[in-house]
Amino acid sequence: MSAQKDCEFLVKRARELVSDDPCAAKAWLITARTLYPADFNIQYEMYIIERNAERTASSGRLLYDMFINFPDQPIVWREISVITAALRSDSQDKHAQFLRGLFETLPGRVQCEMLLKATEQCFNTLEKAEMLLLLLKRFPESVVQHGVSLGETLLEAEASENVETPVNCFRKLFVCDVLPLVINNMDMRLPASLMQKYMLKAAEFYIGYVTRGAAPDVQIQGTQDGSLKSPTVSRSSQRYVIEGLSEKSSVVAEPWERLLDIVAAVGARCEWQGDKGQRSYVDMLQRVKELCRYLPSLEGDTRSRCCSQVVICAALVLFRSAFLYLSSVQPALFQGVNVLSSGPWILVEDFSSVYNDVEVERGAGKHAHKKRKLADGREKTMSSDDEEGLGKGRVRHILVNKTEMPSWSETLESFRTARESWDLLHSHEGLETEFKKICASWKTDSWLWFRIFLSDMIIYQGQYRKALSSLHQMAAMQQPQPGQQSPSGQGSLEHHRALIQQASCHYALGEYRLACEKLLDVVCGLTPPTQEPTKSPEDWSRVKTKTRKGNDLRLLPCTSKAVLPFCFQLMFACFKLRTFSDSRDDLSLGHVVVLLQHDWPQGEMLFLKAVDKICQQGSFQYENFFNYVTNIDMLEEFAYLRTPEGGRIQLELLPNQGMLIKHHTVTRGITKGVKEDFRLAMERQVSRCAENLFSVLHRFCINEKIMIIQSLP
Amino acid sequence: MGDIRQSLLPRDVLSAAKELLYHLDIYISNMVQSGRQPPQVDSKTQELVEEFILHAPKDRNTPARRMSALQELQLLEIMCSCFQEQSRDTVRQLMFSALFGLQGNQADESRMALLGKLVSMAIAVGRVPILECAATWLQRTYRVYCVRLAQVLVDDYCSLVPGSGPTLQNIHSASPRFCCQFITAVTMLYDLTTEELTPPLELLQMIVSWIQDDPRLVLINFLNTPISGNHPVNSMDVTPLGGLMRWCIKAPLAYSRDKKQALTNGSTASEPEVGPLFSALHLSVLQVLMLLPNILNEKGLFGRLALLKMESLASLTSDLSRLLDQADKHAPSTDTPALPQLALDRLAQALQVSMANRALLCSREDLRAICSRLPHNNLLQLVLSGPVMYYSPISPAMAFSPRASHSPIASHPTHPAHPPTHTSTHTPTCTHTPLLSVPRSAFHDGGAFPLQTQPLTQTM
Repeated sequence: MSAQKDCEFLVKRARELVSDDPCAAKAWLITARTLYPADFNIQYEMYIIERNAERTASSGRLLYDMFINFPDQPIVWREISVITAALRSDSQDKHAQFLRGLFETLPGRVQCEMLLKATEQCFNTLEKAEMLLLLLKRFPESVVQHGVSLGETLLEAEASENVETPVNCFRKLFVCDVLPLVINNMDMRLPASLMQKYMLKAAEFYIGYVTRGAAPDVQIQGTQDGSLKSPTVSRSSQRYVIEGLSEKSSVVAEPWERLLDIVAAVGARCEWQGDKGQRSYVDMLQRVKELCRYLPSLEGDTRSRCCSQVVICAALVLFRSAFLYLSSVQPALFQGVNVLSSGPWILVEDFSSVYNDVEVERGAGKHAHKKRKLADGREKTMSSDDEEGLGKGRVRHILVNKTEMPSWSETLESFRTARESWDLLHSHEGLETEFKKICASWKTDSWLWFRIFLSDMIIYQGQYRKALSSLHQMAAMQQPQPGQQSPSGQGSLEHHRALIQQASCHYALGEYRLACEKLLDVVCGLTPPTQEPTKSPEDWSRVKTKTRKGNDLRLLPCTSKAVLPFCFQLMFACFKLRTFSDSRDDLSLGHVVVLLQHDWPQGEMLFLKAVDKICQQGSFQYENFFNYVTNIDMLEEFAYLRTPEGGRIQLELLPNQGMLIKHHTVTRGITKGVKEDFRLAMERQVSRCAENLFSVLHRFCINEKIMIIQSLP
Repeated sequence: MGDIRQSLLPRDVLSAAKELLYHLDIYISNMVQSGRQPPQVDSKTQELVEEFILHAPKDRNTPARRMSALQELQLLEIMCSCFQEQSRDTVRQLMFSALFGLQGNQADESRMALLGKLVSMAIAVGRVPILECAATWLQRTYRVYCVRLAQVLVDDYCSLVPGSGPTLQNIHSASPRFCCQFITAVTMLYDLTTEELTPPLELLQMIVSWIQDDPRLVLINFLNTPISGNHPVNSMDVTPLGGLMRWCIKAPLAYSRDKKQALTNGSTASEPEVGPLFSALHLSVLQVLMLLPNILNEKGLFGRLALLKMESLASLTSDLSRLLDQADKHAPSTDTPALPQLALDRLAQALQVSMANRALLCSREDLRAICSRLPHNNLLQLVLSGPVMYYSPISPAMAFSPRASHSPIASHPTHPAHPPTHTSTHTPTCTHTPLLSVPRSAFHDGGAFPLQTQPLTQTM
C-alpha cells in the first residue's frame, strides 16, 4: 500500500462516518494526520468538517495550518477568496458572519499575509482594491507601502473605464476609504499638490453625491410617455446604488462633514495659513476672507499657495451653501432631500404692493426712464445696462412666507453665504482663474442645480440681462421642455421656474410685452385653484413696505395658488404705467380694471384713479367688460357712471355695441334697446359675483392672450 | 502537644474533638512558623487525632468513644469551617494530612469513613479549600483508597440521592484538580469488566461534558505537579488518560455484552445510547493527546516522560482480546461485527496518537508485540506498520498542532534523554520557517520524516 492509498483510505473512512458520528470522523482524521502530516487532503477534510459545522475557532486554526503548510494549494486559495469576499460584503447572513468570525481568529500577521496574497490573485480592479483596503484598514502600517498606489490605481481605473459621473465605485472607494487612511497617516509625506488634487477629487465626489438627482430612468420614462409623471412620486421609492457597489456601501453618511474632515486634514498637512482645526464651513469662509486681504502683498510660492487655499475653501463653501439654498428652494431636484418638507420656491421681483401703491407715477418713473432709454437704442451691451440697474453688493430684501417656509432664515443665510463666496472668488483675477479651472474640470456648467442658483444670484444682483441668458441656459437644461402640459400641474410648475423668472426679468428691464408673453405661457399651463385664496397679508413680512421702492425680491411658492396671483400682479404692473399715462388707451385701462379685481380691495385706490380717468375721457370702450368683470363694487361704480349723477359717461361695454351705436345713431329705439341690453347685462353680471375669480381671470388670460400681448409695446 | 490529653478526656466527644482541632491548628501554625523540617506532626499528636477525632479504640481495655450522627454532622461542619477559614495553604494542607493521611493502622478505616463524609459535604456546600486538599490527598494515596473515596462520592451523588448530580457537576469549576483526580479514580473504579463495573450514565455524561468543555482539565494535575522522582508507588496515574482510553476502547464490547444480558434478563434498555458519549470522549482523549507535545516541551520532558505506561496498555490489549473472544462466543454470527472493529479502530487511533505525541514512548515493534493476539483491523495494521515513507519535497516543517501554531514555544526542547528505539533516531532540524517559528513538536512522528533510514516493512 502506498502512502497515497493510505491517505485516501483514511479520508474515505472519515467521510463515511461524518454524518452519523462526526466525533469518530474527527478521531480518524486526527490519527491520519499524525500518520501523514504532510498530506493536504487530510487537513482539508478536517477543515471542511469544522467549517461545515461553523465552528469558528477550530476552523480558524485549521485554515491557519493549511495556509502555513500548503501555501500553494489552489483549494486553500479558493477558500481564502470565499472568506475575503465575505469580509468585503456587507451580507448579514449567518454563513458570511461565520466566515468573518473565522478570519478574526487568525493571527494578525496571517491576516495580513492572506489579504496581500489574495489581492495578488485578484484581477478585477474593484475587488482588488476592496481587498487591499481590508488590509490597509486592519494594518495601518501597510498604508505607507500601499496607500498611494491603491489610490492611483482607483483613479486610473476611473479614467480608463470611462465612467460618466464622479459618483462611481472607484471614486467612492478612493474618497471614502483610501484617502482618509492616506492623509491621516503621519508616517507619510505627500507633496502638497498631490494632496490638493486628492482633496478636489474628494470634493467633486461628495458634491456629486449630495446633489445626485433623480435616477435617469424617471426622466426617460417622462420623455417617452410624453406625459410627465410627477417625479416626486417615483423618486421617494428609489434607492440609490452606485454601480458596482452594494446598496449598503453606496450610502455615504454625512458627506459634507466627511469632506470637511478631509479639508481639515489636508489643510493641516499643507500648512495652510491660520488653519487651526476649522470645524465649520462658515469658519472656513471667514478665514479665507481674512487671508484674501493679504493676498496682494504676497509673492511667489506663498502667494500661489495662499491662492489655492482661498479658492478651494471658498469654492467648497460656495457649492455647499448653494446646495443648501437649492435643497430648500427646489428640493425635488435632489435625491435624499425630503421633498415633502416644502415645495419649490422661485425667486422673483416682489409685486405684493403693486395694487396699493398710490404714487403710481413715481413707482413707474424709473421704468419709464428705462423704457425711453431702450427705445433710444442706447443700450449697447447687456452688462452696461445691468450695471446701471442695481449695483453689486446692494442689499436687497427677499420676502418669504415664514409659515410656509419654516427654514426661511437658514435658506436666506445659505443664499447670502453662497453669494459672498462667489464674490470672494471673483475679487481677484488670480482667484477667478483658479476657480474657473475647478469649474471646468468638474463641468459645473452641466449642473442644473448650480445653474438655478447662479440665475437666482444674478437676479439678486439685478443683472437682469445676464440673468435672462442664464435662464435660457437653465431652460435648455431642464427636462422636459417647459410648456408641456401635465395633468397634475404641480410637476410641470417646477419647470416653469425659468419662464416665470424670465418674465420677472423682462419686467425689470421694462420689456413688458416679453414679460407678458412669458407670463401668459405660464398661466396657460396652470389650472386655477378651485378655492379663492385666503387673504392673510399678515403672513408676509411687510414691515418695510413703506420704505421699499418696488425692487425687493420674493421667494414665491411654486404652486398655482401662488403663481397665478403673481402672474396677475406682474401683468397688472406691466399695464399700470401705460394706463395711467396721459394718452388714452381704453384697452389697457380695461385690462387694468379686470386685473384690479384680484386681491380686491387692495387696488381700490387705483380703481378710483381709473374711474377718474374714464370720467375725464367722458367715454370708455371695453367690450370684454361683462366677460371678466364680476366685482360687485366695480359693477356698481360703472352703473353709476352712466347715470346723470355719475356724469352720463358713454360706456361701450358690450360686444359690438359700438358698431350698433354707429349704425343706428338716429334711432332712439335702438339706443333705448342698447340701454336695455346694458341694464340686463349688468343684472346678469351681478348674479355672477360669486364666480371663482381665479377661473374668471384665468379665462381672461387664456382667451385674451393675443390681445393682451398686442396691447403692450 | 501530648499533654493536652488529660484536658480532653473529661470533655464530651464533640467538644473534645473541637478542642483538639483548635490545638492542632495552633500547633501546626507554630510548626510552619518555626520552619521545622520535616513539617510533620509527631506520633503523639497523631495518636490524639485517632483517639479524639477518629475515635479509634486506643487499646482493648478502653471502649471506643462513639459520636451520635448529629454530633458527627456537627464535627464535620466544624472541620469544614476550620479548613475554610485557614488562610495559609501550607497549614491547611498539613492539617489535612494530620487528620487523613493514612497511617497503615486500624484507625485508617475511621479515617476513610470520615474523609468520605467530609469531601461529600464539601462538594455539597462548595468548600473549595477542602476539595483542593482532597486533590493532594488523592495524589499521595494508594490507588485502592482513592477508588474507595470515589466510590463514596459516586454512591452519594449518583446512586443514593437522585437528582443530586448537578451538585457534583460543579466540582469541575470549584476545583479542577480535584475533578481531574476524581475522573482518574472513577476510571479505575469502573473498569467495564462486569455490568456492576460500568459507570452510571449520569456520571458518564458528566465526565464527557467536563472534558468537552475544557480538554485541558485532563492534564490539570500534570500541569500543576512538578514531576519528581518520589511519585508514590501504587498511587494513581497523574492523568486519567489511560483510564479514559481503556473505557473508550472497551465500551463498544462491554456495553453490547451488557445489553445482551439485559435483554436475556428481560429488562428493557430504555437508557439513551452511550455510543455517542464514548465517541465524543474518545475524540476528546485524542485532542488532549495532541496538546501534549507543547506541554512536554515546556516542562522539558518531551520524549522523557511516558504519561501512558506500556504495561497498562499491554493489560488493555489482553483485556480487549479476551472481550473479543467472548463477543465471538456470544455472537459467532455476523451479529454486530462493527463493534469489535470499532473497538480496534479506537485502539489503533489511541496508540498512534499517543505515540505521535510522545505520551507513549515505545517503538512500533513494541506495539506489534502487545497487539499480536488481536484480530485483523485495517487501521491497526496501518498503525502497527507505520506510515509509508515519503521522499517528497514537501517541507518537513509541519505545524500540525493547532495550539502549537498559535503559541509557539520559543525555547528549544532538550534532546530526548532516552530516545525510544527507532521512532526518533535523529533530531529533525528546522530547515525553514514559513511565517512563525514552528515548534519542534511538529515532528511528532519520526516515521514521517523523509530521511528515515530504515523504512518499516510493509505488511499490509
